[in-house]
Amino acid sequence: MVPLPLANLWHHKLRSSLTALGVAIGICMLVTLSGLSRGSVDEIADRWEAVDADLLVFPANASDNIAALSGGGLGEKDAQLVRQLAVAGHPAVEYVAPVYIHRGKIGSGANNIFGCAPQDLPRLTGGRRFLEGRVFDPDNNCECYLQHRIGQAGQGVLEISDEELAGNGGLEMVIDRRLARDARLKTGDKVHVLGRDFTVVGVMQEGGLARAFIPRATAQWLGELDRYTMFFVKLKDGVASQAALEALRPRRNLTGITIDQYRGMLMDMLGVMYIYTDTANAITLAVACLFILVSLYTMVIQRQREIAILKSMGARRRFILGGVLSESLIIAALGAAAGIGLSFPAAMGIEAFRPVLTVRITWGWIGVAAVSALAVGGLAAIYPAWKAMKIDVVEALTLE
Amino acid sequence: MNDNGNILLASGLHKSFGRGAGKVHVLRGLDLQVRRGEFLAVMGSSGCGKSTLLHVLGLMTAADEGSVAIDGREVTTLCESSRNEIRRRNIGFVFQRFNLIGVLSGYDNILLSLKVRGLADGRDVRGVLEAMGVWHVARRKPAQMSMGEQQRVAAARALAARPELLLADEPTGSLDSANAQALLELLVEQNRRQGQTIVMITHSESVAQAATRVVHMKDGRILDTHA
Ligand SMILES: Nc1ncnc2c1ncn2[C@@H]1O[C@H](COP(=O)(O)OP(=O)(O)OP(=O)(O)O)[C@@H](O)[C@H]1O
Ligand SMILES: [Mg+2]
Repeated sequence: MVPLPLANLWHHKLRSSLTALGVAIGICMLVTLSGLSRGSVDEIADRWEAVDADLLVFPANASDNIAALSGGGLGEKDAQLVRQLAVAGHPAVEYVAPVYIHRGKIGSGANNIFGCAPQDLPRLTGGRRFLEGRVFDPDNNCECYLQHRIGQAGQGVLEISDEELAGNGGLEMVIDRRLARDARLKTGDKVHVLGRDFTVVGVMQEGGLARAFIPRATAQWLGELDRYTMFFVKLKDGVASQAALEALRPRRNLTGITIDQYRGMLMDMLGVMYIYTDTANAITLAVACLFILVSLYTMVIQRQREIAILKSMGARRRFILGGVLSESLIIAALGAAAGIGLSFPAAMGIEAFRPVLTVRITWGWIGVAAVSALAVGGLAAIYPAWKAMKIDVVEALTLE
Repeated sequence: MNDNGNILLASGLHKSFGRGAGKVHVLRGLDLQVRRGEFLAVMGSSGCGKSTLLHVLGLMTAADEGSVAIDGREVTTLCESSRNEIRRRNIGFVFQRFNLIGVLSGYDNILLSLKVRGLADGRDVRGVLEAMGVWHVARRKPAQMSMGEQQRVAAARALAARPELLLADEPTGSLDSANAQALLELLVEQNRRQGQTIVMITHSESVAQAATRVVHMKDGRILDTHA
């Protein structure tokens, strides 16, 4: 014979599927939203892994919010100093990549716009590929031109038009794929930011340190001449980071930390965000559980008459509970599986709709979702079943 | 077990429904003895409390007052799981409203009741359905059966387990005379051959004639006894 739980599920096909759908929606919501909140925060920290440097140097008086450092706290002298850093009498530094950072709105939100030398771009993006186009101002024309004009002007007033800048590759910009999608930009498009019209000349694979890069000379021209926001320092082979930091210590106006330390600090700061995201996830979990509870409870409540009939034949408690429980758990499991399955296309949908967001579906939350679906499914089944078993057969038969 | 030959002994049963002004006092100090192997018919006007009595005797509901002993064992004070065990081991019940499980076929309804009683092997489900003339609807669900067919499947469900005490609430109520006769013959046969005790409610004098004894119910009590 067809087991009673399966007969019930099959007989009420539409209701069973709707109930499973209810569970699936709850689970999908939980898995996707938890992946979204964590993923978007983690992605910021992960981009620092791409950087091909060992140390980060920034002004000692930098504010606590090092994640949003911009402007020109460092000078040319500082750059020279760091380049000549020595450990045990030997030059310690392979290269220094100085950057000037602006904040500006491109697409749906504010972005760090990194001004760097064209040859430093692969160092800041971990050598990520160009998907289209090329690096900005490949021959460093802009820097040469600006230096030339500044030299000419001497103490006088210096005016440089946008046409001049653009003509020397100064208004070229490289962005990553996510920002390209978010702002609907491709190579050749114009972006108005920092009061200028930049032209996108290249789109890179995402995962680099920043989403937007421009020539450093332009960034300084638009900000402060000869100034830098921070230095990325690559040490020579065999030089220990700690030894290099030790050598830097006498320079009281500079703070040096390793990139890993920086990531740690960033994570600590983002930890505040995790309090919000975890709270949001807990609320989503509660809502999802309530969803599952209501869906399954209404399903099992309609078994009360059947439970009464089974009781009239003297069916054992175990038999009755087992039947109702398996029915509920089958639906909870199917719904959870569907919900987990749905969360992957849902994640893709979110990332397609808002490309700067990251949805990272984790095994941890998949586990939480599956366990809650089954636990809540079990509870939702046992309560009405237990209630129906407690009362008279005749009384239970008149329920419904 | 000393039961003095009584498989069922009910005394001083009271049962009422509702409260306040709307209260209906259905059983009013009812006494009834059923001897082992007896085929008893209970008659009485509609609404006099016959079904209520059968529910109390079959442990489907509790009386407000009074006692019921089955096989000499007082059951009114037993815990629910013991009452459940008595329903499983000793009692077969045919509801006035059938109470078949809607999502199962006729065949599976009977098989399930046998499984619940641990009798699934070795019972001839087909034989019982054929004897009741409803083998042709065995694969159908109750909603696709006529009232009479449902009633016969419901009776088959109780008969298949061959319980020592069969309580049947108007089991011929929806049947034509030929089918009613077939059911009665089956009841008489189980009663005679296997010594099954039967308590059957009926409105029909002719159906009642199949029984070995007929009692009448009025004002919440059993009136008289014919041999
Ligand atoms: N759950 C209930 N709540 C309130 N009143 C009830 C309930 N069940 C039965 N009654 C009342 O109890 C009385 C007896 O009902 P019962 O079903 O026992 O009658 P019956 O003799 O079986 O009638 P019939 O021959 O029509 O089946 C009726 O007046 C009925 O309205
Ligand atoms: Mg009745």
